[in-house]
Amino acid sequence: MSTDLGIKALFEPNSVAIIGATPTPDKIGNRIMDNIVHYLVGETDKSKGFQGKIFPVHPKAEEIMGLKAYKSILDVSDEVDQAIIVVPPQFVISVLHECGKKGVKAAVIITAGFGETGKKDAEQEIVKIAQSYNMRIVGPNCLGIYNPHIQFNGTFADEAPQKGTLAFISQSGALCISAILHSNKVGIGYSHFISIGNKADVDDADLLEYFADDYKTKCIGLYVESMPDGRKFFEEAKKITWRQPIVVLKSGRTSYGAAAASSHTGSISTQDASYEAAFKQAGVYRAKEWFELFDVAQAFSTQLPPDGEKIAILSNAGGIIVISADKAADVGLKLATLSEETIAKINEVCPLTWSKQNPVDIIGDADHVRFRKVLQILVDAPEVDGVCPLFNPGSRAVPDKVADAIYQVSTTTKKPIVCAFVGMDHLEAFKWLNYKGIPTLPSAERAVIAMKALVDRGKFLRRENVDSLTKKYEGCK
Amino acid sequence: MDEINKIFEEVKGQGRNVLTYEESRKVMELAGVPLNKIEVGKNLDECIAKANEIGYPVVLKVISEDIIHKTEAGGVKVGIKSDSELKKAYEEMMESVTTYHPGAKIDGFSIEEMVSGVEVLVGQTTDPQFGKMIAFGIGGIFVEVYKDVSFRLIPISENDVEEMYCEIKGRKMLEGFRGMPALKMNDLKSLLLNLSKLVEIHPEIKEMDLNPVMVTKDGLKAIDARIILE
Repeated sequence: MSTDLGIKALFEPNSVAIIGATPTPDKIGNRIMDNIVHYLVGETDKSKGFQGKIFPVHPKAEEIMGLKAYKSILDVSDEVDQAIIVVPPQFVISVLHECGKKGVKAAVIITAGFGETGKKDAEQEIVKIAQSYNMRIVGPNCLGIYNPHIQFNGTFADEAPQKGTLAFISQSGALCISAILHSNKVGIGYSHFISIGNKADVDDADLLEYFADDYKTKCIGLYVESMPDGRKFFEEAKKITWRQPIVVLKSGRTSYGAAAASSHTGSISTQDASYEAAFKQAGVYRAKEWFELFDVAQAFSTQLPPDGEKIAILSNAGGIIVISADKAADVGLKLATLSEETIAKINEVCPLTWSKQNPVDIIGDADHVRFRKVLQILVDAPEVDGVCPLFNPGSRAVPDKVADAIYQVSTTTKKPIVCAFVGMDHLEAFKWLNYKGIPTLPSAERAVIAMKALVDRGKFLRRENVDSLTKKYEGCK
Repeated sequence: MDEINKIFEEVKGQGRNVLTYEESRKVMELAGVPLNKIEVGKNLDECIAKANEIGYPVVLKVISEDIIHKTEAGGVKVGIKSDSELKKAYEEMMESVTTYHPGAKIDGFSIEEMVSGVEVLVGQTTDPQFGKMIAFGIGGIFVEVYKDVSFRLIPISENDVEEMYCEIKGRKMLEGFRGMPALKMNDLKSLLLNLSKLVEIHPEIKEMDLNPVMVTKDGLKAIDARIILE
């Protein structure tokens, strides 16, 4: 189990001080207060906010949002687990010393203007303070931390994520907002969400073990621009990927991207081949695109990897059948060959014109009943290890009823199901399926990629469980 | 102190960080890397005896500190297939070498096993973020063209070797393409695991190159080796 109390204090604080809290509306120090007290700016219900102790720190104010304010963190008599620091950069170091003296377990420096602007010395100073007081420090230059399960929003953002099972680490603060907007729209929830900033002290690798041990977390997602200590991440990731999946989008793959990354975060990007090798070797899934990161994380956090590699695809649209078959071939997803028995069963519930093979075209006039029956036959078929139901709207099938049919079948099987509701027109059904724990994506291609990720994860887990000395090499698959 | 350490100490003692071909070969041999056979003969009779020990075809090279450009001096003969061809090559070499460089002191001749097959590359680098990395891929002169090379962090496992192999796009060439000898997975595993171990034990190795390593019907044989220390 993770014993780093500083890391625990970042995500499960019992008490939090906001140093730089202010009664002036719209200032960052006021928004963080609002987010801590109400979970989201604009809310007024304190029962929705953080229920632990809150200590605003401000040089003059007596009270902020009905809470007693303190001149210094040293004036607080209670224990303080986490300090959020939003003072101007020139005061950060002295405030950190005060936090250290107070015995704060973890500090989050929201303030920017350090390594990313070339001030590496100041960042070195931060690391020294962290070590001398045995206090963990996140940032500087970050958005803050969310833990939706304890209604904790220690950020200055206008958005907040829903409860869920994905733990997310982002090196970009701005992209956190995009991640939350996308996730709230499609129905992805989070166990923890951290904007990690310049990683002066706490880096990605420090968080992996905590997330791996957290029972609410089913997958760890990362957006990374640079990893100054790549070997440390590799070693930590390797220890946990057999029990907790990790999905990473490492940008700066190309020399163009790498150049942008250097000027962006003030750290130097290395040859991509090394990252590629390290991720593969540690069993980390590497997404190449932004949405793929969330698609695959959603699949990993809700579905079990299949026992085998043979997948069935089912759709009510001929075009989607062809597109998905192409994508399956592109990414190396293997399609199951249906047995005579399975074909006979589908014959009974489909018109004669159905495709008679996988991908299974159940024809445009299919309603939700046909959808459910064929899906059930496929998940029950021993030759099928997982199913992608790809729904195309605008025909006889009612989206809400199709969504319900897919959910009903999913409760009868351990085999993974990854859906597409093409076009995203029926957002409610789409979102409902995601909240029900069935990854549902807006295109057939994205569903195929997410299913392939699950198949690869299954292969990885089987490989990890086999003693390599007794195993015979069986060729590339 | 083991023999490899001794070689490294000597090199460092001379203020160098790049090992000579001979030193690199010696280290590789000690690490269990299969190399093409090389023997030394003082005269024609010895050369013929050594060539028969190695087995034809062989390459004959003059050994002389006075002759720096061996090829220009006619001091390299390749594709020698029999005793009589070796005799002819030896005589031609003596004549041309003495003409090119009268009075050169000839220390002997090296007789080298000539191997052919598909060329692969095995190497090692040190990455600033990830440390020691091992590489395997399509070798020879096409390395820079295809960049068909897979990397892993040291130390590696047998599984890693299998995955590295499966990542090579041109691996069909290594599977007995057009009657060429096929790469045996066990050979590749033992080569890469030996090198991984070598670097683990000797982290002062900064870079290594075995290019090309020939895929022959008798297994892998490295015919060039290069080691650079930190």
